[in-house]
Amino acid sequence: MKNNIKIERARFNFTQADLAEKIGVSRQTINAMEKNKYVPSTLLALKIAKLFKKSVEDIFLLEDHE
Amino acid sequence: MQTHYLLSNKYKKFGWILLIMGMILGILINAEVLESELLQTKVLSIYNEGIFSKDDGFFKIIENGILDEIVALMIIIGGLIVGFTKEKVEDEFIYQLRKESLVWAIIFNYIILSFAIVFIYDMTFFNVLIYNMFTPLLFFIVRFNFLKLRSGSDEE
Repeated sequence: MKNNIKIERARFNFTQADLAEKIGVSRQTINAMEKNKYVPSTLLALKIAKLFKKSVEDIFLLEDHE
Repeated sequence: MQTHYLLSNKYKKFGWILLIMGMILGILINAEVLESELLQTKVLSIYNEGIFSKDDGFFKIIENGILDEIVALMIIIGGLIVGFTKEKVEDEFIYQLRKESLVWAIIFNYIILSFAIVFIYDMTFFNVLIYNMFTPLLFFIVRFNFLKLRSGSDEE
C-alpha cells in the first residue's frame, strides 16, 4: 500500500510531529507510514483522511500486486 | 488505542531503576564481590530435595541467605515494568513494535539456549540457566528500544 501522507503534510505545512500530535499518535508512526513500513489501522487512516479533508482512497492507494 | 496488560507510563522510571540496580547487584554477586548468602533469614520452602540440603521434604522452614532471591526479583519485576509500561505516546504502531520485539526475543533466546545446550556443559551450563531466567525479558527490552529508536530517526 502506498500513501500520500507526505504530500498532504507538505500541503498543510505540517511537520511529522505536528501531524502526530493532531491525530494523537507518536512521530515514529507517521515516519513509518511515510516510508511505507507500516500499514495503519482503518481507524487511523480515517483520522488522517478527515484531517486532510480528503477521502481515504485519495490518501491510501493499493499497489498493483495487492 | 486499546492497550491490554500495559501499565501507566509513570512507572517506567521506577522500573529502570529497579532493573539497573538489580543487574549491578547481580553482576557483583556473580563476580563474587558480594556473597549471595547474605541476609540470612528463615524462609518457607515448599519443596526441597538435593545433594547439599539437609532440609528435604515438603513445607519446611529453613535458613537461607535471601540476597540472591531479592536481586533476581528486582531484575524480573524491573524488567516487566520497563517492558510493559506504556510509552509516552502509546499507539498502534508502538504496540506492534512491542509485539514484534517479543516474538523476536523468544526466538532469539531459544536459539542461543539451544546452542548452549549443545556446546556448554557441567557447572558452566548451570550458569547459562541462571542467565536464561532473565534473557528473554532483557532481549525483548533491548530489541524494542532499538526498533523504537530506529523508527524515530532519519526524519525527512
